[in-house]
Amino acid sequence: MSGERNLWSRRLALDLRASLGVVAALALVPAFVDSPYWLGVLIVSVYFALLALGWNLLAGFTGQFSLAPAAFAMLGAYTTALLDYHWKVPLALGIPAAIVSTALLGWLLGRVVLRLKGPYLALTTLSFAEIARVVIGNSYVFTRGDQGLNVPALFHSRVGYYYLFLGVLLAVLAGLYFLMRARAGRFWLAIRDDEIGAESRGIDVVRYKTLAFALSCAICGLAGSLYGTFSQLVSPELGLLLQTGLVISMVVVGGMGSLTGPIVGALIVYLASEWLREVGNIQMIVFSIAVILFARFLRTGLWGLATRAP
Amino acid sequence: MLALDLFVNGLIFGLFYALMAVGLAMIFGVLKVVNFAHGEFYMVGAYTYVLCSMKLGITPWLALPLAAVAGAALGWTVERLLMRPLYAGYSSWSIMKDEYAVVVTFGLSLLLINLVDKVVGPYPYRGPALIETSRFAVGPVMLNGQKLIAAGISIALLVGLALFIKRSLWGRQIQAVAQNRLGASLAGIDATRTTSLIFAVSGLLAALAGALLAPLINPSPDVGAFPAVKSYVIVVLGGMGSIWGAMIASLLLGVLESFFAVYVSYDYRDAFGLLILMLVLIFRPQGLIGEKGRDV
Repeated sequence: MSGERNLWSRRLALDLRASLGVVAALALVPAFVDSPYWLGVLIVSVYFALLALGWNLLAGFTGQFSLAPAAFAMLGAYTTALLDYHWKVPLALGIPAAIVSTALLGWLLGRVVLRLKGPYLALTTLSFAEIARVVIGNSYVFTRGDQGLNVPALFHSRVGYYYLFLGVLLAVLAGLYFLMRARAGRFWLAIRDDEIGAESRGIDVVRYKTLAFALSCAICGLAGSLYGTFSQLVSPELGLLLQTGLVISMVVVGGMGSLTGPIVGALIVYLASEWLREVGNIQMIVFSIAVILFARFLRTGLWGLATRAP
Repeated sequence: MLALDLFVNGLIFGLFYALMAVGLAMIFGVLKVVNFAHGEFYMVGAYTYVLCSMKLGITPWLALPLAAVAGAALGWTVERLLMRPLYAGYSSWSIMKDEYAVVVTFGLSLLLINLVDKVVGPYPYRGPALIETSRFAVGPVMLNGQKLIAAGISIALLVGLALFIKRSLWGRQIQAVAQNRLGASLAGIDATRTTSLIFAVSGLLAALAGALLAPLINPSPDVGAFPAVKSYVIVVLGGMGSIWGAMIASLLLGVLESFFAVYVSYDYRDAFGLLILMLVLIFRPQGLIGEKGRDV
């Protein structure tokens, strides 16, 4: 890229600064909060922020509306758990293995659904997600089915886990920023806005779409694998369609097609859900109404609202 | 006579699937969107039937049409409130273009499930049957009384729908809008009202399917997920948007599943339908029965 700054790179730089600000604020939290319960809540919201960033790479930046992010988190978690359970593979190898396996599966799924758009793509990825969940839930011998598998923890300090998740979030954020600033990002946006137009200008659509699938699924797989070691139990429930619904609602509320939006959305939705659970278990009602209202009236989400030109 | 038994039972389930799938196919035919809240239309029908007959003491034969009204009203409202942007000012959006309907109907599905869960409670209810006889024999096949009555009503509804679409003025307007929205409006058809009508009809059919099955399935708030997934498979098999394709594919899937569950694997019977869906979408996106050249 040449040194000149256009509108997109300026927007992206602002986006990055805002998201780094959010991560920095999160890094200070353990100085004020020492209840292990709330640290746990924050860890789970950072887990969802990772899923939201991964899904946003596909849906928000590349325009490929997949319904399988939770399924890939489940597949990543099971890769690590199964390697440990059957072959006693240490976590130092099991976690990278989860990234590799979900990237490969995502690449394969991306290849298979290349020609599908909109509702067709949504239905195909939905079936993939449900098949993966049913197969894992029913293969009692290999995966212990619905009972789930125990996973060893990386370490036993909650604060340690919190900073591990934040570190991963920072790394994913930086990786996404550099990709979005470079050629790949421009190509993804072009594919999202006009696939035929992109192809006619010489963009290798097949290559960049499958790349987006592989990367997005690998991010979800890594998040799932880490979450498995944190909760020390993986079960098919990680891949429930409801979890995908949560991820979608986070990105839609925060702002699709940005870096800050998914992170802020994940924090707001998950923290609010903890609070609303205490108010009377109405969190899902509130979120589904929020998603419908945002999609109907404010498609750019909170990030779009915050950065709207006056 | 196991094979015959499986065949008849599969066919009956196919009829119930058809009530769901036909509405989904009609919506897809006109708006090119998949209604991810379709299973919740079914759930609302089942709950209206159960609550009307149990809490209000209305006879089941009157609760059935009430469920139909509830479903139609829900479908109509959803179209009015949420589907309008799909054909007004929608082409200029930069993000969430194809996905608006997925997000909104997915959100609606979560909303309805959790609303019922909160208001009515998460426990399953069993609805009263339309007929007291629990089992009787039709030739060599043993059947459940409620199932037989429900199958009869389903046949009547499907034939009625076919006649409505083919013969009535409204039905022909639906066909015209599905073929070409702009052309239909130029010919003086109120395309907006027709779209509302389609949602009302599809809500009505799905709610009736739920009400008819309520005595057999013990509705709980998430009861709609299972039939909804079936109807996605069927709509894809039958060629998205084709009503006749959906009817044939429903019967086919009902029978295939009933054999698969017994002869191959009971645990994986749901994955089986989804696998068909993926394979058809990937290799034959126009559906097995649908017309050729449908663009994806």
